[in-house]
Amino acid sequence: MSQRFHRLSRVLALAVVGLLAAACSSTGSSSAGDSGSAKTMVGFVMVGSTSDYGYNQAVYTASQQLAKDIPSVNVITADHVPENNAVTQTMQSMVNKGAKVIFASSYGYYAYAEKFAAAHPDVIVLHQGGFETGKFSPNFGTYWGQAYEPVSLGGMAAGGLTKTNKLGFVYAFPISQTIANIDAFELGARSVNPQAQTYLVNTSNWCDPLKQKEAAAALLSEGVDVLSQHQDCQTTVIQTAKAAGKYVVGYHYDAKSLDPSGWLTGSAWDWTPVYEAITKVALSGSFTGSKYNANWVGSFADNDNPLTLASFGSSVPSDLQSKITAEQTALKKPGASVFTGPITCQDGSTLVAAGKTMTYDEVNNISCLVKGVVGTLPKS
Amino acid sequence: MTATPVNESSVRGTDVDLNTPEQPDLPGGLARLGPGSRYALISTLGYVASLAIFGVLVAVKGAEPISVYHTIIASTLLNGDALQQTALRAIPIGLAALAVAVPARAGLINVGGEGQLIMGAVAATGIGVAAVPGALSWAAMCVSGALAGALWAALSGVLRTWLGASEAVTTLLLNFIANDVMLYLIYQAWKDPNGSGQPQSRPLAHVAQLPKMFGSQLNIGVLIALVVVAVTWFLLQRTGWGFQLRVVGGNTEAARRAGLRVNSLLLSSMVVGGALAGLGGALNLAGVETQLRPDITLTFGYVAFLASFLGRHQPVKVVGAALLFSAVALSGNGLQITDGLDGTIVDILLALIVAVPLVVAKYRRRAA
Amino acid sequence: MNGVEQTLIGGVSGGTAILLPALGELIGERAGVINLGTEGAMLAGALGAYAMTESSGVIWYGIIAGMLAGAVVGLAHSWITVRRGGDQIASGLLLWFLALGVTSVFGTEFVGTAITPLSNIAIPGLHSIPWVGVILFDQNILVYAGYVLVAVIWFVFYRTRVGLILRATGERPEVVAATGGKPQLVQIVAVTIGACLGGLGGAQLSIGYVGNWFNDMTSGYGFVAVAVVLFAAWRPVRVLGGAYLFGIVLAAASVLQAHGVSVNQYLLDALPYLVTLLALAVFARRGRSETPEALTRSLSRSG
Repeated sequence: MSQRFHRLSRVLALAVVGLLAAACSSTGSSSAGDSGSAKTMVGFVMVGSTSDYGYNQAVYTASQQLAKDIPSVNVITADHVPENNAVTQTMQSMVNKGAKVIFASSYGYYAYAEKFAAAHPDVIVLHQGGFETGKFSPNFGTYWGQAYEPVSLGGMAAGGLTKTNKLGFVYAFPISQTIANIDAFELGARSVNPQAQTYLVNTSNWCDPLKQKEAAAALLSEGVDVLSQHQDCQTTVIQTAKAAGKYVVGYHYDAKSLDPSGWLTGSAWDWTPVYEAITKVALSGSFTGSKYNANWVGSFADNDNPLTLASFGSSVPSDLQSKITAEQTALKKPGASVFTGPITCQDGSTLVAAGKTMTYDEVNNISCLVKGVVGTLPKS
Repeated sequence: MTATPVNESSVRGTDVDLNTPEQPDLPGGLARLGPGSRYALISTLGYVASLAIFGVLVAVKGAEPISVYHTIIASTLLNGDALQQTALRAIPIGLAALAVAVPARAGLINVGGEGQLIMGAVAATGIGVAAVPGALSWAAMCVSGALAGALWAALSGVLRTWLGASEAVTTLLLNFIANDVMLYLIYQAWKDPNGSGQPQSRPLAHVAQLPKMFGSQLNIGVLIALVVVAVTWFLLQRTGWGFQLRVVGGNTEAARRAGLRVNSLLLSSMVVGGALAGLGGALNLAGVETQLRPDITLTFGYVAFLASFLGRHQPVKVVGAALLFSAVALSGNGLQITDGLDGTIVDILLALIVAVPLVVAKYRRRAA
Repeated sequence: MNGVEQTLIGGVSGGTAILLPALGELIGERAGVINLGTEGAMLAGALGAYAMTESSGVIWYGIIAGMLAGAVVGLAHSWITVRRGGDQIASGLLLWFLALGVTSVFGTEFVGTAITPLSNIAIPGLHSIPWVGVILFDQNILVYAGYVLVAVIWFVFYRTRVGLILRATGERPEVVAATGGKPQLVQIVAVTIGACLGGLGGAQLSIGYVGNWFNDMTSGYGFVAVAVVLFAAWRPVRVLGGAYLFGIVLAAASVLQAHGVSVNQYLLDALPYLVTLLALAVFARRGRSETPEALTRSLSRSG
């Protein structure tokens, strides 16, 4: 047995020597790309595939646009980085490579990004989707958008076109962002159709097409005729609606091409302006104390919501389209919000009193489903 | 190794004794090679072939193979941060791999490292968050993690010894159940009220976390893990229990006839294994993650199974394999940042490495 | 359409994505080889089928490509375990990782595209049987393939010489060898055909049921398929029952919620595994007589 161990170690040693030989012979060729003169390196960390036609692709596309638009920036990316300590090492690798600004783009990276920023005062770290409740390191910031604003507009389209007054919403887990989206969807639908109700099904998975199909089919059999969702991948729900000749409201990206007549509208990410604005502030050396060294939240009111209203499908009549765009304009007024009272929860309790408006922070911690949503969240 | 019938040399062999005299290597033509040398040569060729296949693959994806190999070395071995991270990641993987290795001595197949890691982390979180944090919180967390892992593995052990249900299958099923238990806790019962909706437990108080060592990223979990590895090695190689496990693994019938309490031995190997993995989950939580989140040990348990296999279920080699796989996973960072490859390419590299011992298994048996 | 009907329809079509790999796993295990790479075979089959259908536009080519992709995984598994004597569990896990990596790296270009999934074909006559007709006889061709395969596999297992040799190989390969048979060949063929069905299950998922491809879209259903075989104690008809049962649990979760009934999603997700565990515990002793002995042997050693 010891002989075998000896041999195994020799085999491994040989393999390592081979690798080292390969490594040494190539040092000249590989380091050419990354020492690009006086460029500032900006890193993007993603949890999924750069071509997922969803959340991660939106990040990737905007990062590449950033590199194009600001010539003094050199963009590096890493995908499929799981939401555990692996992300710390990914950020460390980027810093070792020379990155000065890092965008940690997945919700679950929050704690790691915050800690990493504290440990690396010379690197600016930004987290996408988090919300800092404590003190900010001078080199840390979060950014996000009032995602529920365009979602409520999608809800209007759904409410306007439903014939059965039943809308379906497929979600993964009951996190606050999802609950806010569900509520906004129902509120938007009810604003044009007081009879509209939103039926919920969860899948316990951010992308499990089999479960999405079962969920969508179950909703359709319940009489639902417009489907929407908060999932990482949306093709299956669109396909199921299309096969049944029903409507769909999308999320993450504009997928109108998959079903031009069934697609009503949806929400689509456009991160480019946000990334560019943040990067410019970082490059100018004035990040600390800036609005990005905080919880920055884009909104319709400030004309900088990174989640935008997607294009309308051919089934949406023009009067409904103009109603929706009018509402979008209305939401741009200071103080306007989807979550303006009176709003009641399912159980009849008051979520927002008449004349009051929820702050972004309050919406970010929302745990009640509004009246008109059918189905309950798992109890906590 | 447990596949071969017990014989004197395999029972008494150790995996750290490097002083055994060797026959001369590669004496001329292949035909004249002894079985041992032939195995060494063929393994080497296998690893070279694996790396070559990987090179072709990255070339197909538009990267420069030589640069890729350079990146793998540079981003893992030649980098202090990466070495520390490799060690930290190897703690849960290595201990979960020992959780495979110990029952394997008795001929049992523990595919449940994933679930045992999770239950270890869950129990450690329960203790770490609920109890009043004190100087020894982390010790209590380690103990509870080990207990939870042991219990989780014991379920399969009992099903096997009492009812004859295959532990390979029940441990696998329990992985999925453990994950659902954890998700329930994170999303519902234990959800951090101050986490702005994040699916996570409350964070551990600072004193409940494993202390860091010498201002580095390493925590004392590294030392604990090293001690545990040494103890495991001692138990397996130098105690009657370890000897009896190997007897049972070699030939259960013979062991039974020789008067060994086979069922107790089988169960004890699962319990010890589960405790190791549970400890790994607890150390990872208390030292590195400090908060329970859904993906903190995602696929570690399965990687651990392959590590134990690569290390032939011998503690020291298993830990080496865990370090290797930990480094492979981390090399993905460099492969993406420097070479623009897809992050999942490291799964392929890992598979290609494990393929070698599987494919050359026959030569090893002949050599042995 | 009422909820119960929808649950059963969804259970049968979704369950088919588990049934086909489970039948494949059954064939391999009857020959004495367990294949945790079933998950990998499904992934390969799902991508193979989708990629071929998407690029050729011919769904039949897709079905064949899915089966071939699965078969490649099976061939690799049987070569490693049967010819090279490699560990079955390790080989299966390794092939899972390999398939995960390869399909993810090469499948990205298909993400975000869509095809029309296999259409349902109502079987004349049978389809108009009240209630049962819509559930069982208005489905796609792969669902029907599932019915036929269960019958064929049952017949081959218990009524033909080939089945006898297969089962004998799974019990006592050395006896088969002594009587002039080729147990290794039997195992290789069985595992390859098995993984071929695993690929077909992946095809049912990608081109049969949902009409698109996404990384890791099998989400562990290959492992469920392995569990189903044990749940069913290696009997073809029970495999059908087990797979549909899991499909029905999945569908019921959705239907109940869509109906406004709150369900504990975590408990529900754990249910298939809990039920299998329970079945194993309850039937372990009784089922043992049915356990292929060579499989028991390969499952009671490792390394």
